[in-house]
Amino acid sequence: MAKQKKAPVAKSGDNFTRWLVIGMVTLVVATGAIFSVISQKTKAEESFLALKGFKQGAPVSATVDPANGSGIMVNPDNAKTIDLWEDPQCPICNDFEVANGNYIDDLVRNNKAKVVFHVLSFLGAESTAAANAEFCAADEGHYLDFHKAVYLVQPGLENSGFFNTANLLKIGSYVGLTSKTFTDCVTNGSKLAQVQAALDSMPKYNVKGTPTVFINGKLWQRKSSTFILDEFSAAVEAG
Amino acid sequence: MKIFAMKYQSFITLFARIILGGVLVSAGALKAFKPSESAGAVAAYKILPTNIAHLVGYALPWLEIAIGALLIIGLSTRLAAAVGAFVMVVFICAIISVWARGILIDCGCFGGGGAVDPTKAAEAHRAYLLEILRDLALAALGVYLYFFPYGRFGIEKSLQVIEEQ
Repeated sequence: MAKQKKAPVAKSGDNFTRWLVIGMVTLVVATGAIFSVISQKTKAEESFLALKGFKQGAPVSATVDPANGSGIMVNPDNAKTIDLWEDPQCPICNDFEVANGNYIDDLVRNNKAKVVFHVLSFLGAESTAAANAEFCAADEGHYLDFHKAVYLVQPGLENSGFFNTANLLKIGSYVGLTSKTFTDCVTNGSKLAQVQAALDSMPKYNVKGTPTVFINGKLWQRKSSTFILDEFSAAVEAG
Repeated sequence: MKIFAMKYQSFITLFARIILGGVLVSAGALKAFKPSESAGAVAAYKILPTNIAHLVGYALPWLEIAIGALLIIGLSTRLAAAVGAFVMVVFICAIISVWARGILIDCGCFGGGGAVDPTKAAEAHRAYLLEILRDLALAALGVYLYFFPYGRFGIEKSLQVIEEQ
């Protein structure tokens, strides 16, 4: 194919146009990208507004059960057992939390069921960091509060740099976790062994995704397209 | 056929500019103001490290808008067409790559993106094929514009047009 001939413009003028165009395109792309990054950062900062006035609940003693996939276990003596498998960065787990979070709080705080929280971290490095912090919070007796707060600020974008040490400590401070043991635990990644053990236990329980729920060892599957509190609570009560 | 192509070349060029430019501008505009979606869509291809993928996701919609706008007004058409064809080839490679690795995602071409429900594997694979064919057609328009950048209603005029005037 023969190239079309160009207009007889002076060569220097033509080059000038080309560089002008390249310069303008670069400018548009750079400005746009910077705008996007800044709007992302502001959105992340604003997400902390959701934690304003967060009321810390009463401490709940929890133990980590290595025999049961290193899950965080509460009310060990209750006959009814609920196993919850979640990843802190998983958006559908957030939907589950929005629908059923308060109900699960009630089960835990009023000893209506033995609940085992399996904190997974298969969505990347920031899930690992957040999971570590959740184990730290469990040690302080505030797993429920911290876990709720993580979902309240959960960014739409995974591994965007949001769940870093500073922000995890900030989440902790909003829910009243400011002790040195907690900050050290988050900063040093003291619970990474448990986080790994929880992740490694997935095949043993045939868990392939999150959220996964077992009621008395039986896999629970929603029938509706969204999570509905009545559906879940009926399933839990039926056992 | 050859005479036909020569005779209507300026219209074909205009048509190619409007189609390729229009697709790029609309695809870019749908994503530019949803940066987190766009960044997440690029990351879902799992080709680039996450933070670089996010950066590409932030910048790509603006590049599409800029290149598309140049094509529509017909300024630096040859350069813009080359870049447009190049990004189409990159998109094709990316889709082939996810397909070959068995990753199920929505391409996020016009916004959206991310993982797809595994039960919809057949639909996702069909979508991959259609996306590849669509991007191939758009890349072909880009190649055509590289060789015949001067047509109707463009800011630049070719030697021939100026002679005719």
